[in-house]
Amino acid sequence: MTVIILERVSISLRGELSRWMLEVQAGVFVGTLSAMVRKLVWDYLTTAVRSGAGVLIYQTNTEQGFAMEFCGKTSRRLRDFDGLQLIQIPS
Amino acid sequence: MSGMNLQMLPKMRDSWSYLYVDRCRIDQDGKAIALHDLNGKTAVPCAALALLLLGPGTTITHAAIKTLTDYGCSVLWTGEGGVRMYAQGLGETRSAQRLLHQTRLYVDEGLRLKVVRNMYSFRFQESLDANLNLRQIRGKEGIRVREAYAKASRETGVEWHGRTYKRDDWQSADPINRALSAANSCLYGISHAAIVAAGYSTGLGFIHTGKLLSFVYDIADLYKANITIPAAFQAVKEGLDGMESRVRRTLRDRFKEQRLLKTIINDIDQVLDIGVVPANSLYDVDSAAPSDLWDPEHEAVEGGINWAEGGASE
Repeated sequence: MTVIILERVSISLRGELSRWMLEVQAGVFVGTLSAMVRKLVWDYLTTAVRSGAGVLIYQTNTEQGFAMEFCGKTSRRLRDFDGLQLIQIPS
Repeated sequence: MSGMNLQMLPKMRDSWSYLYVDRCRIDQDGKAIALHDLNGKTAVPCAALALLLLGPGTTITHAAIKTLTDYGCSVLWTGEGGVRMYAQGLGETRSAQRLLHQTRLYVDEGLRLKVVRNMYSFRFQESLDANLNLRQIRGKEGIRVREAYAKASRETGVEWHGRTYKRDDWQSADPINRALSAANSCLYGISHAAIVAAGYSTGLGFIHTGKLLSFVYDIADLYKANITIPAAFQAVKEGLDGMESRVRRTLRDRFKEQRLLKTIINDIDQVLDIGVVPANSLYDVDSAAPSDLWDPEHEAVEGGINWAEGGASE
């Protein structure tokens, strides 16, 4: 399963993404994407968010069981502790 | 949720293995735990975590320690890069069942020898010839360890001149020896957490003896040839920049591949030949339940009642 959360992006970008995934709430998308499709969609989003921000969460074979990627001006940061991903709230 | 039902916690096997942090402050934050450093605040899902390694420059509050131990997250104070280990917290069981079993095996020389043989045959993944004495088994093990180093060296191209390091001069050791120490220390931490989580004693070692962590060394040795030796050589092969951190990252993947957290408690039970263990004891559900009283005839009688009032005549 893949989850993408977009904030402060254009309605048309959300519309584009809803071709691949379900928009559960405004800006919150869920779907089942293959690794290749996920990468292509995410690569596109990272260039298209402009002043907005995006978060990608997907199931993968790591200890945590999922991985996260951030793009754009997110209010929180992704931190990596020797392979364990945690979320930092900047002071 | 203090005094909570331990059944609500993720089992050791479902946990994230470890988190190493240094140079930060850890405190209670909105009923959970958070790390604070110059860049901001990072929340730590402590119930999902088996082990928190605190490196140099960490400060932790009383409230944070209480929450961590409530949720069965072992806390270890360690040296720089997770190397060396100083102190421990409390694990995920309140039952003494396994500790009592371990002690019975430890005090009986015949049973203890059986456990030692179990541990060696676990490492060899084959049963040992019953005619071999302990000295011969140790020799066989020595050869196996030497081959594990040689094999890792061949596969990675990292030169190997033997396991040497000066305890009082860390930096003078060659990189592969430093990587091995960092990897072993992390493995000790996980073994330590598993031992404490299952309710065994770290001090009652079978092969190792005399130190408060003897049993930790016994258990960690089960995995060195398959996990830490290859991981350390791999990390050195990839370069010396940030090597210790890379060792730990490689280990996290190896722990996952080898399903270490899923099997480690079963493995300990297996080498101690403990058979089927009930999933939960009364004390895991209610840690305040009164404990039984020992009795030479009945093994145990009910505690928490006054034996002056009729109970004693039974």
